[in-house]
Amino acid sequence: MQVDPLDALGNPVRRKILTHLRGSSLSVKEIAALFPVSRPAISRHLRVLSQSGLVESHGRGARHHYTINLKGFTPVREFIDDFWDTALARLEALSKEKPSSKA
Amino acid sequence: MIQKSVLLRCSPIEAFHLFTTRISEWWPLTHRPSKDPHSELVLEASGRFHERAADGRDIDLGRVVEWDPPRRLMLDFYMGTSADQPTAVEILFVPEGEATRVTVYHRSKPESAHLWTRRVGVFENSWQSVLQSLVNW
Repeated sequence: MQVDPLDALGNPVRRKILTHLRGSSLSVKEIAALFPVSRPAISRHLRVLSQSGLVESHGRGARHHYTINLKGFTPVREFIDDFWDTALARLEALSKEKPSSKA
Repeated sequence: MIQKSVLLRCSPIEAFHLFTTRISEWWPLTHRPSKDPHSELVLEASGRFHERAADGRDIDLGRVVEWDPPRRLMLDFYMGTSADQPTAVEILFVPEGEATRVTVYHRSKPESAHLWTRRVGVFENSWQSVLQSLVNW
């Protein structure tokens, strides 16, 4: 399942998890110890962050570690590039919908 | 600089109107800061470029810098950066036979040049500081 990174970031606990993951890889247990919420709740937040592409997980079971996935944050240039591809394709489709001046 | 173009089967003035007065119909739903798919986007020849959401929110997306139908439109663009660090969009409408080539040139400006290769923050200001710290380490 895909989650919009903007939705993933719209939660204060998830934003805090990301700041804790800056520069270090942490296990669910280590992350949970930093917050006054239950481990299952932290696991749910981590799942959302993974599905949004903002974090990656490595390893299995209790050795599961999470790191930030920088590719989840698009550079401005790329963001704008993608935007115009979509926008111009939609503009072209709309131009075909409307009756042409010759019609 | 980013350069993109599309050939539309209509006259330059029709293409200009399609781009401006009918912007709500083509502006990608994924790039509406309000996240309201039925929001109305407005480009005012007098200067404002904004989004009006159904819930009453009115969000500035940029500013119209030059409105010169049917040839040229220039915008300051806030998405991906911010109102005090805009990027610049130039849209040219050039006839090609019976059709019109719409070309978009999107550039950074001196105030946004340092952001061009930076990772996109998000539109919401509250996230700015977190993202800033994430991208700067």
